[in-house]
Amino acid sequence: MRFWPLRRANGDSAGAEATTTTTAAASSRGQPHKQVLRPASPVFIWGSLVAGLALDLLPWGRTPLVPDFLALVLVFWNIHQPRRVGMAAAFMFGLLMDVHGGALFGEHALAYTLLSYGAITLHRRILWFAVPSQSLYVLPLLLVAQLASAAVRLWVGGASPYWWAGLSESVVGALLWPVVTWILLVPQRRPLSRDQTRPI
Amino acid sequence: MEYGPPPLFNQGVSARARLIFFSFLAVLLIVIDARVNALETIRVGVGVMLYPLQRVLLWPRDALVQAGRYVTTVGSLMRENERLREVSTERAASLLQDEQLRTENARLRQLQGLREHVAAKTQVVQVLYEPRDRFTHKLVVDRGSSDGVRAGNPVIDEQGVVGQVTRVFPLVAEVTVLTEKDQAIPVQVLRNGLRSVAFGGSEPGTLELRFLAANADVSSGDAVVTSGLDGLYPPGLPVGTVARVERDVKDQFARVVLNPAGGVDANSVLVVLQVQAPPLPAPPREDARGEHPGRRSARR
Repeated sequence: MRFWPLRRANGDSAGAEATTTTTAAASSRGQPHKQVLRPASPVFIWGSLVAGLALDLLPWGRTPLVPDFLALVLVFWNIHQPRRVGMAAAFMFGLLMDVHGGALFGEHALAYTLLSYGAITLHRRILWFAVPSQSLYVLPLLLVAQLASAAVRLWVGGASPYWWAGLSESVVGALLWPVVTWILLVPQRRPLSRDQTRPI
Repeated sequence: MEYGPPPLFNQGVSARARLIFFSFLAVLLIVIDARVNALETIRVGVGVMLYPLQRVLLWPRDALVQAGRYVTTVGSLMRENERLREVSTERAASLLQDEQLRTENARLRQLQGLREHVAAKTQVVQVLYEPRDRFTHKLVVDRGSSDGVRAGNPVIDEQGVVGQVTRVFPLVAEVTVLTEKDQAIPVQVLRNGLRSVAFGGSEPGTLELRFLAANADVSSGDAVVTSGLDGLYPPGLPVGTVARVERDVKDQFARVVLNPAGGVDANSVLVVLQVQAPPLPAPPREDARGEHPGRRSARR
């Protein structure tokens, strides 16, 4: 059960279980003997989203190069579990971020909606690449989200002329993508029974 | 009987339809929030829900600060004590005079029949965090409407004006700092009483006096204080010092750059002056339509 030699994964997926199989298959191109992932538990999905929110709520102040953790976790679940975490969730988390940051109501909501749409549309393609190359797809997604909120600010007229300095955060976020992937897939990588990894 | 797709292939509303729906909703919210102050109740509701989480997440930093304080050496404490004693001795003379000047001023005002200055109630607040917003510079402080903080209250530190409360929640309040673009404060030059309005500067961390004639009597080093004309900021609070004046022949106005007096970046303890705003006359209709009425009235 655990160590199926994986053949080509069917790119399309309907159920959650099928999606996880695809995930394992696609992200393991070049590493033929990788285990099949277990289904993601909803508790872990929502727990990790709240953890991402919590990381964003830490008093970072104006520390440069701190990425938007919530956006990263959202993109991750949009790509890996598009049927569980969709645009509605992204929108609601965006509203929370707006209230926390004292931004215009709906600014982050718009940014995260666009981010989520991009991730859901591209998820089948992205999963075919190895994890480090997936970063190259994640970077434009994060940039589009940041540019959307910058556009809103410029439109309403409350932006300082140095807003573009913040775009480097997206680069840091994209560089963190392999780490995020590794951490958020840990519970799905557990073996079905503990005995299977026990040395005899 | 109708034949729909089997549930395996039924993915619900298409992603593009959802994108259009949620983007439209977000843009609607942005427009409503920017033009009218209709969403404040929702914002306050969400803010109250988020408050426990926000407070819990401030603990790690506060614990670090506490630990840092605990290991502060006796030497540094003694140095700080020494410095504070010097400062208080320096200020003692002017404080003693202040008392006398105040009574004299009150008597003179009485003689002239002028209105008394009302001393504002003060509220010491602690900065909880700076929002991670690249576009604006705000501070979130630990007192809100339940402690009598109102939108529009001036915020000062021991050196001068820091900003103004722009949004209140029941337990926290948002302060927009003076150096923020479009944040305005009526000021006068201390040396000659020249009145102007200071705005957040185009360079980060500075203020600008706008609409001063090119030949206005301002020079670098001049102290600039609040004029008290708006009835919100009490007169005489230090706002900044003139860093440089650029007079361009082509230009009608001088470009005056100020360094703010208050510690806009550095402080953790601030004072909110709970000034009772006098009733303002209704703005003329033409202006109200051109500008954002809600935002302007909150910042005045």
